[in-house]
Order: sequence, then structure tokens, then C-alpha cells
Amino acid sequence: MMFAAFLWAAALFPAFKWLQHSFLGETIRHSATLIATLEIVHLIGLALLIGSILMVDLSLLGLGIGGQPVGRVARELNRFTMTGLAIMLVSGPLILTSEAERCYKTPAFWVKMALLSIALVFHFTVHRRVTLAEPPAARPDSRLVAGVSLALWLGVALAGKGIAIFQPA
Amino acid sequence: MFLLSICQWVDSTRLNAVLRQSNWAFPALDVIHTLGIVLVAGTIMLVDFRLLGLALRNVPIKQIVGRIVPATLWGFGLMLVSGGLLFASEAVKMYYSPAFRIKVIMLALAGLNALIFHRTIYRDVANWDPASVAPSRARLAGMLSLIFWIAIIAAGRAIAYGPGYDLG
Repeated sequence: MMFAAFLWAAALFPAFKWLQHSFLGETIRHSATLIATLEIVHLIGLALLIGSILMVDLSLLGLGIGGQPVGRVARELNRFTMTGLAIMLVSGPLILTSEAERCYKTPAFWVKMALLSIALVFHFTVHRRVTLAEPPAARPDSRLVAGVSLALWLGVALAGKGIAIFQPA
Repeated sequence: MFLLSICQWVDSTRLNAVLRQSNWAFPALDVIHTLGIVLVAGTIMLVDFRLLGLALRNVPIKQIVGRIVPATLWGFGLMLVSGGLLFASEAVKMYYSPAFRIKVIMLALAGLNALIFHRTIYRDVANWDPASVAPSRARLAGMLSLIFWIAIIAAGRAIAYGPGYDLG
């Protein structure tokens, strides 16, 4: 177990280093225009993701769009969540290649990755099951699910901002 | 010159000094500002998509506007207060930032677009809400809103790549 963890850690930094010095990483890193563009695209993806998830979670909390069942709102908005997610999952790693070594040394980056993993698993399991339940979930725990979902995605966004703010020592 | 002297005055205030001297004020405001804009753009885009007939087509527009716009306004409030304070912490720098000017103009246009929409075609919403396709003026308002908000995000991000910032 310890050995595996050691191997993992030992392999990871070189991987990040390789990423940054790859053709892609070098190209992006040396172009402020490219980085800025990627960040803008990343933010627009975030807006789509957070906006659509917020609407579904507000529905779960009973503050939804006038009398519409949660399931319908969730189904209708699912493609916006997925589009936002796809935009972020493409632009995010590209931004990472441009500053992989710095990200490796920034705790906020690892916090973001951990929260993102949890948020994704939660979204595609618990959240999905509750929002797309037939008949509509009127269970008392649906409020909890909405709260956890909002907290997780908010955490991902905050940690993301944290990567820019907290520079490694 | 008039604008520059206002910016110089802002930079000479006590508020500016307090914001500048604090290690955490700028990052904290930056975080609130980003969340605010994500909230505004994320919610308003859904209204825009509905106007364009791309989302929630079975839900009446009046209900969507009634439920979503309060969240948008909360986000806008966050964005305005945090944005005002961020500006107050570096007003003269903003005077020389082309991206900042573009952002302010885009904000004004987005506001104007929303105002015109609510004052004209939206007053009549009960008449056209049941139709499967919104009237062209409503669709135009939705399209313009999308463009303006994407431009606001882009210009806002671009401020940090303009004069006066160290990209490191």
C-alpha cells in the first residue's frame, strides 16, 4: 500500500512536468491570448454548469420553476449541464498543461480535483437518481441532496479560483 | 480628463487605501465577483435559451422569468458591490484598461437590452407565451443578451491580461 502510494507520487510530478514541457503546454504557456481565451471558455462552461444545476437544485428545494416537476426541469436542463461540463473538461486540462508544475505544488488544485471527483460521482449517482425519479422525488432527503450538490459545485468553483490566488511558496 | 480625475480621486480615498493594504480583500472580492457573474450569466443564459426556444420549451416564459430572475438579481447585486470595490482598489489602472471600458459598455448594453425587453415585448407576454415560438423581438432580445453576457465575461477576464498586471 505504502509502496503503491510512493510509486504514484513519484510518477505524478514527472507526468506534470512532461505535460508542461509538451508541445501543447509550451504553446499555450507562451501565448497570453490562448490562456485568456481558454479561461474565458472555462468560465462560460462554469456558468452553464452552475446555472443549470442551480435551477434543478432550487426545484429540489421546493423553490423551483412554477409548479414544474423536478424531473422535467432536470431532464430539460441536463444537456446544458452536460455541455457546460464538456466545455470545462476540455478547457480545464488545456489550462493545466500551461502551468502543470505550479498546479502540482498548489494545494488548491488538489482540493479542486478532489471536490470535482466527489461532485461528479455524486452528480451521476445520488443526484441523478433523485432528480430523475419517477414518480417525482418528494422524499425529505431531496433537500439534503440539493444542498450537498450546491455545496460541492460551489466548492469546486471556489477551489478553482483558489488556484489563481494561492501561489505555491 | 474628467474620468481620469474621478479615478485619481477614487485612488486617493481611505477606502482605496484600506482595500490595498489588506492581503485578503482583493482575493475575497475577486472570488465573490466571479461567483456573482457565474450566477448572473448562468441563470440569464437559461432565460435566453428559453426565449430562443432551446430550453424548457414547455414551461411558460412568465414562470421562468418569475423564478429565475430573482436568482439573477442576487448574483447581480453581488457582482455590482464586489465589482465596485474591486474598481475602488485600482481605479486609475482601470482608466487605462481597454478591456474594462469594453466591459462597462457591454454591461450598459446588457442592461439596456433587458430594460427594453421588459418595457416592450414582455409586457405583452401573456399573449405570446402559449405560442411554440416566441416573437422575433423576444428572440432577438435573448440572442443579444447571450452575446452581451459572454462579452462581459470575456472582457472581465481580459482585464487581468491588460496593462498593469504581472502575468508571472
